[in-house]
Amino acid sequence: MLAETLTGPEIPWLDLGWALTLLAGTSLLLIVGAIVPRWRHGLYATFTALTTVVSFVFLVVLWGRVTDDGMASAVADSIAFDHFAVLSLVAVLVSVFLTALVTDGFLRREEYDGPEMYALYLTAALGASVMIVANDLIVLFLGLETLSLSLYLLAASHRRKTESQEAGLKYFVLGGFASAFFLYGIALVYGASGATKLPAINDALRGSIDINTNDALLLVGIGLLIVGFAFKVSAVPFQVWTPDVYQGAPSPVTGFMASAGKVAAFAALVRVLLVALPSRIDDWQPVIWALAVLTLVGGSVMAVVQTNVKRMLAFSSISHAGFILVGVEASAHANRTDAVSSVVVYLFLYSVLVIGSFAVVTAVSGRGDGATSLDDLRGLARRRPVLALALTVFLIAQAGVPATSGFIAKFGVITASVDAESYALAIIAMLAAVIAAYLYLRIMVSAWLAESSDESAVEIPRGLGIAVSLCLVFTIAVGVYPGWLLTLADKATTFLGA
Amino acid sequence: MIAASGAVVSFPALSLLIILPVIGSVLVALLSEKRAEYVKLAALLTSVATGAISLWVLGAYDAHEGGFQFVSRHPWIEPWGISWHLGIDGISLFLVVLTGVLFPLVIAGVDPHHDEKRYLAWLLLLEAGVMGSFLSLDLVLFFLFFEIVLVPMYFLIGGWGYDNRIYAATKFFLYTMFGSAFMLVGIVATALLARQDLGYVTFDLVTLAEKSSFATDTARWLFMSFAIAFAVKVPVFPLHTWLPDAHTQAPTGGSVILAGVLLKMGTYGFLRFGLYLFPEAAVWARPLFLTLATIGIIYGAIAATMQTDLKRLVAYSSVAHLGFIVLGTFAFTDQAITGSVMQMVNHGVSTGALFLLVGMIYERRHTRAIAELKGLQQVAPIFAAAFMVVMLSSIGVPGLNGFVGEFLVLIGSFSTARWWVVIAATGVILAALYLLWAYQRVFHGEPDEANSSFAELKPREGALLAVFIAAIVFTGLYPKPMLERIEPSVKKLIEHVEDRSDFVQPDIKRSEGEG
Amino acid sequence: MVDLAWLIPALPLVGFVTILLFGRRLGDPKAGLFAALMPAAAFVVTVLVYFDVLSREAEERHHVIKLFSWVPVGSLRIDMAFLIDPLSVTMALFITGIGSLIHFYAVGYMHGDPKFSKFFLYLNLFVFSMLMLVLGENLLVTFLGWEGVGACSYFLISFWHTRDSAATAGKKAFVTNRVGDWGVMIAMFLAFTTVGTVSYSGINEAAEMGHLAPVTATAIAMMLFIGACGKSAQLPLYLWLPDAMEGPTPVSALIHAATMVTSGVFLMTRVNPVLAVSYDWAPTTIATIGAITALFAATIAVAQNDIKKVLAYSTVSQLGFMFLAVGSGAYVAAIFHMVTHAFFKALLFLGSGSVIHGMHHEQDMRRMGALRKVMPITAFTFIIGWLAIAGVPPFAGFWSKDEILLYAFANNRALYVVGVITALLTAYYMTRQVIMVFYGEARWNDHSDDHGAHGDFKPHESPKIMLFPLVVLAVLSAVGGAMQLPFSKSTHFLEHWLEPVIEFGEADIKKSWAYDNKWLLLGLAVIIACAGIAASIAVYAKKKAKAIEPAILADAWRYDAAVSSLVGGPGKAAFNALALFDAKVVDGAVNGAGIVTRSTSGVVRKVQTGFVRSYAVIVSVGVLLVLAWFLFRGVWA
Repeated sequence: MLAETLTGPEIPWLDLGWALTLLAGTSLLLIVGAIVPRWRHGLYATFTALTTVVSFVFLVVLWGRVTDDGMASAVADSIAFDHFAVLSLVAVLVSVFLTALVTDGFLRREEYDGPEMYALYLTAALGASVMIVANDLIVLFLGLETLSLSLYLLAASHRRKTESQEAGLKYFVLGGFASAFFLYGIALVYGASGATKLPAINDALRGSIDINTNDALLLVGIGLLIVGFAFKVSAVPFQVWTPDVYQGAPSPVTGFMASAGKVAAFAALVRVLLVALPSRIDDWQPVIWALAVLTLVGGSVMAVVQTNVKRMLAFSSISHAGFILVGVEASAHANRTDAVSSVVVYLFLYSVLVIGSFAVVTAVSGRGDGATSLDDLRGLARRRPVLALALTVFLIAQAGVPATSGFIAKFGVITASVDAESYALAIIAMLAAVIAAYLYLRIMVSAWLAESSDESAVEIPRGLGIAVSLCLVFTIAVGVYPGWLLTLADKATTFLGA
Repeated sequence: MIAASGAVVSFPALSLLIILPVIGSVLVALLSEKRAEYVKLAALLTSVATGAISLWVLGAYDAHEGGFQFVSRHPWIEPWGISWHLGIDGISLFLVVLTGVLFPLVIAGVDPHHDEKRYLAWLLLLEAGVMGSFLSLDLVLFFLFFEIVLVPMYFLIGGWGYDNRIYAATKFFLYTMFGSAFMLVGIVATALLARQDLGYVTFDLVTLAEKSSFATDTARWLFMSFAIAFAVKVPVFPLHTWLPDAHTQAPTGGSVILAGVLLKMGTYGFLRFGLYLFPEAAVWARPLFLTLATIGIIYGAIAATMQTDLKRLVAYSSVAHLGFIVLGTFAFTDQAITGSVMQMVNHGVSTGALFLLVGMIYERRHTRAIAELKGLQQVAPIFAAAFMVVMLSSIGVPGLNGFVGEFLVLIGSFSTARWWVVIAATGVILAALYLLWAYQRVFHGEPDEANSSFAELKPREGALLAVFIAAIVFTGLYPKPMLERIEPSVKKLIEHVEDRSDFVQPDIKRSEGEG
Repeated sequence: MVDLAWLIPALPLVGFVTILLFGRRLGDPKAGLFAALMPAAAFVVTVLVYFDVLSREAEERHHVIKLFSWVPVGSLRIDMAFLIDPLSVTMALFITGIGSLIHFYAVGYMHGDPKFSKFFLYLNLFVFSMLMLVLGENLLVTFLGWEGVGACSYFLISFWHTRDSAATAGKKAFVTNRVGDWGVMIAMFLAFTTVGTVSYSGINEAAEMGHLAPVTATAIAMMLFIGACGKSAQLPLYLWLPDAMEGPTPVSALIHAATMVTSGVFLMTRVNPVLAVSYDWAPTTIATIGAITALFAATIAVAQNDIKKVLAYSTVSQLGFMFLAVGSGAYVAAIFHMVTHAFFKALLFLGSGSVIHGMHHEQDMRRMGALRKVMPITAFTFIIGWLAIAGVPPFAGFWSKDEILLYAFANNRALYVVGVITALLTAYYMTRQVIMVFYGEARWNDHSDDHGAHGDFKPHESPKIMLFPLVVLAVLSAVGGAMQLPFSKSTHFLEHWLEPVIEFGEADIKKSWAYDNKWLLLGLAVIIACAGIAASIAVYAKKKAKAIEPAILADAWRYDAAVSSLVGGPGKAAFNALALFDAKVVDGAVNGAGIVTRSTSGVVRKVQTGFVRSYAVIVSVGVLLVLAWFLFRGVWA
């Protein structure tokens, strides 16, 4: 009886297969990991990796379906399946896959091998995915919190390292701060539009032509939403937590935060802005513009005098966020949705780059994960030429040198922004890239040109080695022949309901 | 008019010119450090092969056809309308040949002293980049090579340079990147704005230049965005200050390449992209660049006079010489631009040789300070003689290559930029001043203690210099083969400019009387 | 035969290459003799060419030999070509003739020098360049030679480069000449842009047919004259020539007396039609500068004690005469004087060289005297040269100088007066030199400690190979005037010969008072010469009067000193200032940008305190800003 009245929404299990896989993976890791005392070397990592692979297979199917049957919403329109979502999801899976490989060796080096971190990666990925597909602010918030909580724990996961603990705590406190803003934003928007589903919000706002006080409320709501996102993507001035957390967190985790975390936040941001709030573009676009400029310049300039590689990369990730914001700003212009694809491409390519970079850092940081200053990199070229070469490629790619994926990413964003005729932003971005290049050069100098202080061997665990090689090949391959990726991305230009 | 035409070739010569060095570079990187001789051999073979192909191209090049030859065109990044489009014409021909010949010489003739393997790998990568920039007929492809060149050069300066190398390398990298920042935006804007005429997005140079047209102001903005990048690369006063540092700190091989071909990427860019894509804007920008060029000529010469470091002196002399090239470029006459193109090559040869000689001096004395050198002619007459010939070519003495280019630039520019030429021509006086003064201080006088043991030219060095000197003398006495290959393309370019702007080249006829 | 004219420059070139390759193996003296044979052979060819050209009709005497197309770009078509006409043949004749004589002389003079073969290497190269200069069919080929001789002169002046003075002198010569070259280049550019060619025939015809606007013609002429001032050591660019005496004496004789320094005069003659159609002030300027230089240098020569310096200044002065002639439209006279001057000035220099050789490289005339006893042939030939330059009939110099003065009188009496005074001074200082060197009492052994020889030594006569050129030149200086005698139209051999080249520009003074009374002027010239000689004898031989040799004359009116202090002082300071500007301002801006970024970074990083509370503050500020904007939009917009 009760059952009749209370009918839940129907759920397309197949289309959600990827998410379920992640969930299943997490549970298995935790349960089996708890029961079976110690898994064989690298089995946790392998298992995690496989989980992502399986999940990936589901995604491939989903991609096909979206291509054939068009975009679709599910679970009572609370989530949306479109190419943009699928591509972003793939990016997240890739980061989990690579991070798992990197983490394996790291954990054994630090001697607390166990399933927990992998599980957290998967939950984080789950949260991230939910953010990406969320078509409803509430769902989005759920995903956001899932992701955030996992990340707080991951950041703090290095038990013997106070910096790690501190990082986790800081991230937690400030993250909570931001979540609060975000939640309040949701409330206000709901108040103004009477809806939490993105398309519905849009319809409502389109309808309410008459400007009244609750428009101010709405706008404040939008503002708070943007603040929440800005914090997640660490846009200046909401980046303050980033350097400390990135530096304190275990190196593999940092890479993961910079990739999966950013992908999710940006994907959600773009979706919300373009699906729910297109009618208020004139209001929020200037804010995005300002954030972009601040983030570009701030990130690059603050990086100049740093001496800790992880911290430098943290700032560099900030200026990259600026670049992505340039893409977002461009996609805000009427019918410039092709800019959206440039955003997702940038996220994808940057994820690989940043994980690769932090993988190298992980290897160099040595036992205790502490040796991350520029001096610790000295003479890397002598000790580990290939590793040094890989790092160099990742760095020049981040600097946007052609024939690397980094150039493709930047080129796409710049094209989008020029196409949107925001030339000033494009030029500011390029000049910021020049300043940022200085920090990459400084890292390269230590790696290649500075005389080595200690000859201590840097050892490269197998998993990490594989991950780095994959990133390296990918970076070059996409740089030289990006056509396939771009063709895929070209599909990811429109959203459900936009 | 500049249509992709010309010789049908049995194999993709131009693509090979780029790919071979890359292969060589990878090969060198893979070979084991232990077997140094194999490393060297591999590097030498690939670079020699590349050089051979470039010479083959020179031989097979059709001198009467001004358009692009050996064109090879394949789609590359289709979604963005970017294609692998290579071609060669009279403007790029000799720069390509110079590149092809210069690298094997440097590899064979100049030792890096340490980490030879890495050095060679970077050098070959550099060659690929330079070749690519001179051959690309697609804006993005060009930008790719133009930019990629920075990396190997950065490592060459930073890894094998002198005391202040990191500073110099970083300055070089960032300064050039700063310039190209504007160019990239310009490139993208060009392609996207041309969409209105073309209906599709393409970065193909020829298509853009021939089929599209921009609003006057737009074109001027776009031109300037390119011009900044090239002006930094050339370098044009006042954007030149990276050059002395880079040149002075770079290892000998690096300086030779830098002076020989790298700087030409800027002057070449002005011709190939600036004038060709935005004729009207280029005409509009003439006064500015003519003035900067003239300032550069005088300014560079004066600064050179006062240098105390021999290598730095040569570096500043480059600023002056490139001033002539820019002057000729923006004079828009057959003679002037042909002269400029020729001067690009000549400067590469003579200044390249000068850097070799300075390098040899450093090898022997471990100093570049003019004050510490004295009376070298007494102890090493042949060395001095070689230096003298190269120096005279750099001064621009008729009968040597340096003169022909400079003369053509000046006589060609006189009809369209008279007063600039009158001033610029005084540069030849200053050139004599700073070089002869330096020569006197270094080679004349009684050699003191430290210099009396200065070793005479070694056979290998002699052979190396012989090639340069042969080129210097031959082009000086018989430039015709070169000129007749350059000129048709230059003519086409100028006609292109005339068609698309109100500029008209003054037509100079010999007044009647016997011809 | 004319078609073989290319051999004329080719032969010295062969010599140059051969010595370049085998010079050291040939050694001393074979290398020298071989080198000497080349110009000698070239001389023979030139003579044949001369007779060939002579045998033709006046209008046939213009023959172009094109070797290959040199610089062909668009409408600019410059050939590597020679122009064989009376003027170039005349030049070639005395260049090869005197050139080979001096080569032979040098074989003796340079004997034992460690760089013997190298010397002849340069010497051959010089002759080659000089021939390119005069045979060139267009300005560019001439310019090739023009710069070539400049370079060779640089090599040869600083031949003994371990001597700083020599090195400096060489550099000075080259750079000063470059100033002139600038003029020549601009002239070429003007010619091309207006006439469309740089070939002499093209330019001159344009002038003759009136296609050349006076203003352009004037510009071209003046620009070329700037070049001429550099090469031919006229005010204000003469500075390098006296210093050029640092070079070995044969060099001074060949380059800085007989040939190179006259190329300015040649060039102006070459383009005489252009000068003819330019504004009147152009030739006047040339004549005036010539005259002033002549007088200026002559006054300096009066007070010199270095045997070569006297001759150097006298050369400058004589070149002044030639420009006076050019400016007065007396091209024949100019060439005439150029040739005779080549004879006697080469003779005098070689003579002085022989003296220096005999005196063990002593150049100070105050340490000579009475040398006629120990070196009779040198003395005898030198005296002939002296009579020639002093303008004593019937020696060569008399006729040529008189011709110039004649035209000068007809053209501008003031300049004539200057010329006469110069002639007087010339006779005076040359006599002074002869007396100081060959007469009076022997002063070689006074303070012999501080010159080359130790203790008491005896100057010796020079070897035959050095003497025979002296004799030949002496003969030429004696009878050279015969090529152009004023007696009747029929004795104007040179004039008839040069007719086709200079008829357009040559001034016609048939109607002038001077022409009718040329015998009067002739007589006056003789008196002037004798007066000068007499005065000099009275002062230096008879000691009847005190010598007037004020210091200001001794150091050349301090002109040189003034210029050098200008260049060395303010000039250098300005250059340094610019170099500093480059380092501090231009580059400073670049580094400044870097520093600013760094410091900003240093400041901004301070917000990253690491304290959550301060982070919260920053975030809140950001929030407030964002909200402020949206409120603004919502409420007011």
